[in-house]
Amino acid sequence: MRRLLVLAAAVTGASCLAGGPARADTPGAVRLPAFEQLTLDNGARIALMEKHDTPLIAVTAVIRGGALGDPPGREGSAALLAELLQKGAGARDAAAFAEALESVGAELSITAGTESLVIGASFLSKDSELVLGLLADALQRPRLEAAEFDKVRTRSVQSIAAAKDSDPRALIGEYGDAWLFGAHPYGRAVGGSEESLAAIGTDDVRSYLEQQLGGDRLILAVVGDFSAAEMRRRLADAFGSWRKAGAASPAVPAPPASKGRRVLLVDKPGATQTYFWLGNVGASRLDPARHAQSLVNTVFGGRFTSMLNTELRIKSGLTYGARSGFERLSEPGSFQIVSYTQTETTVDAIDLALATLDRLHDDGLAADALASARSYMLGQFPPTLETNGQLASRLADLMLYGLGPEDVNQYAERVLAVDRAAASSAIETAFPKSSDLAVVLIGDAAKIRDAVAKYGPVTEMKITDPRFAPGRPKG
Amino acid sequence: MKLCVAAALALALVGPLWSHQAAASALPGADRVASRTLANGMEVVVWPDADIPNVAMYTWYRVGSRNERPGITGISHFFEHMMFNGTKTRPPGEFDRVMEANGGRNNAYTSSDVTVYQNWFPRTALELIFDLEADRMRNLDFDPKVVESERGVVYSERRSSVDNDNFGVLIEQMQASAYVAHPYQIPTIGWPSDIEGWKIEDLQAFYEQYYAPNNAVMFVVGDVTPEEVFALAGRYLAGIPAQPAPEPVTTREPPQLGERRLRIEREGQTPLLAMAWHAAAAPDRESRVLEVTLSILGDGDSSRLHQRLVERERAAIQVGTALDQGFDPGLAWVYAVVPPGGDPARTERLIDEELARLATDGPTPAELTKARNQALAGFWRGLETISGKAQALGEYQVFHGDYRKLFDAPAVYEGITGDDVKAAVANILRSGNRTVGTLVPVTSEQTPVATQAGAK
Repeated sequence: MRRLLVLAAAVTGASCLAGGPARADTPGAVRLPAFEQLTLDNGARIALMEKHDTPLIAVTAVIRGGALGDPPGREGSAALLAELLQKGAGARDAAAFAEALESVGAELSITAGTESLVIGASFLSKDSELVLGLLADALQRPRLEAAEFDKVRTRSVQSIAAAKDSDPRALIGEYGDAWLFGAHPYGRAVGGSEESLAAIGTDDVRSYLEQQLGGDRLILAVVGDFSAAEMRRRLADAFGSWRKAGAASPAVPAPPASKGRRVLLVDKPGATQTYFWLGNVGASRLDPARHAQSLVNTVFGGRFTSMLNTELRIKSGLTYGARSGFERLSEPGSFQIVSYTQTETTVDAIDLALATLDRLHDDGLAADALASARSYMLGQFPPTLETNGQLASRLADLMLYGLGPEDVNQYAERVLAVDRAAASSAIETAFPKSSDLAVVLIGDAAKIRDAVAKYGPVTEMKITDPRFAPGRPKG
Repeated sequence: MKLCVAAALALALVGPLWSHQAAASALPGADRVASRTLANGMEVVVWPDADIPNVAMYTWYRVGSRNERPGITGISHFFEHMMFNGTKTRPPGEFDRVMEANGGRNNAYTSSDVTVYQNWFPRTALELIFDLEADRMRNLDFDPKVVESERGVVYSERRSSVDNDNFGVLIEQMQASAYVAHPYQIPTIGWPSDIEGWKIEDLQAFYEQYYAPNNAVMFVVGDVTPEEVFALAGRYLAGIPAQPAPEPVTTREPPQLGERRLRIEREGQTPLLAMAWHAAAAPDRESRVLEVTLSILGDGDSSRLHQRLVERERAAIQVGTALDQGFDPGLAWVYAVVPPGGDPARTERLIDEELARLATDGPTPAELTKARNQALAGFWRGLETISGKAQALGEYQVFHGDYRKLFDAPAVYEGITGDDVKAAVANILRSGNRTVGTLVPVTSEQTPVATQAGAK
């Protein structure tokens, strides 16, 4: 079945938000298929999109709060709760809960993000009553048993240690955010650190559940093979009587940009490669200039032929990959440049990354780069709206950030509208100068500590230190 | 980009299973799949799917590290990189620049068995992509400067996926130890001294032998019609001359004569344990039985190994399984991440107990049903995207000999019984047929110099 057909949805009390032609001539000019929205009495907000080409249903739910609701010094509370919600709920203990889900081939994940808890589920349509029941149990009737809590917490601590023995690419962002944002809540390790996890007790998790989860916070999108009428009833039964969250959702001020350059060197003895992260405060999810910023980033570090990858990989062979990107949150999150190179060429690669950033500021975008990036963004947009899960996540994202379907439907025209002036302005406002960067290096400190001192004052820690920031956590 | 899957192979999920509920008739659009063999022997398979206005084009070459020998290990994967680096008609870098400027994106991967080139693009770029793909099949050129630079790229890839990743090290060492004769012992990323040693002549010989239309299959899935794809294939690909069939891989791994063990010491905090058994080739029924068996052992939190090792005994942080599936008999894997300070020998004992229990009692009917349902749901999820469809068609056409088997595999799975699972554990997952590897973490003062592989 064609994805982009219009589904007529006219439901009393629900707003019908979308609909349009199957597809326009411009690549990337796709429209969000029609969906309906409703709000339950307790404030839970729901979006439903029928799609019948496979016998599958995807659910994405988000609950505003996330790691921002963690008590200071107990970072990882939301992440532990997310894990524990799946370890026994309602009439089922942990083993029975997993068995019920997996016996029908369903998948459920509950994870904490920086500013929301994110729930994803995928299942065959014939199993929707069972799986939605399990999800309702997990959110509203979790057992939070002490024995399960202890296992989850212990395993989370051990998993961080295991990750430190593995590819450093997986963890460098944790060090980067901590080093860039410092005491600002965006600097918190969402999964906690070995140190902060050790300080968390069952009471913290229970308190988080009461304060930060509730029907008024629930945003839930369902996409796939179901009847909307039946799904409305089922969701009202499952989530309509959930109590409200006990506290207001956490809000944070915009983090201040970082001035000057400072280096965090994380010592991983024996490493044959240095991994680096160069960042500063970037841009928010709702930034009106986000299309121009994304276009500039596509040219600078967002695709294979980007300026960064061309310099560090294609032309010099210094690395397997170099890229840049924005972490977009309600307030500006990080903009970061990430790459790695063999220990001996650490300075060559970092110098080249900095020079490439300078070139972006000095020269701006050439006309052909602008045109190429537009085509690339448009051509690669439709595959982000292909699966039930992608569509459900998009709907939940729109609801979380108060955006309408035009965020999708006008994407192409907004990208096409980015001209050189808009690109220049984006470079000026959202891309840091090479003189203003928080720098994180993971590598063999004995071999590089002297050479990297030229990038700024160096603070050193060991990769085995039980935290992602040097010294005592602030707070 | 341009990923190497050498280490990832062993960590991949067990492949898809089917149940009778997923019959071809229930697959929307399966009846629209069309295929054609060009006069030069190249096969083209098309699955029209207009869900999004985009296309996935996957070109599979039947060559991987299985076709290598000492001195040129890793060259299949290095060659994959060189396929993006210039032809006689287009200078290095133009392939990617032109594709991206027209809205397309690409990647590629190399395994022991195959090299697969993936293009994802808006349908408006269809003819251009045919031109680009045909050009590098016919006219590839090797710029000595680019060869040297790309050597550094691949070495960096090796440092990240193997040398600075303890699991990567363990899997590579086990793969090399499990085979005494068959070239599956070769790491797809290549041994460091060979990465440093390839010559341009090696690349040229490799190109002539393996990058021929008769050694390739192209899958085009998305907003296209078979007619337009076949017309473009005729225009751009049919004129590329066929080559003599590549030299076949004839070595067979002799039966293993007893358990092999290896112990690796590396800087770190977390012990690792893995077991690898000689198993079966992709199309063998035994591989389907092993998929079900490994699913029961390690797929999900309710699986036997997760419940016993992770939840009840706390002898692992994580446990998983994987099954290599290629042209020749691959390995069946069970692996566990042991808690810091934990004893890998205890974890190994517990796994052995679970294997013995499954060999003696077989699975419960509920476990068989669960494995089937997990597979069915995974099957549908895998076919949700045009990329997933292109990959699935490729696996069946290349490894099973016919893409249509994607649609009628259910019958094979339906027949798998508890007794099949019992027999597979007893006959294949037995100690005399396996290699057991442990990685023991040490602190820097203890790390022997010899394990610091990879540094120049």
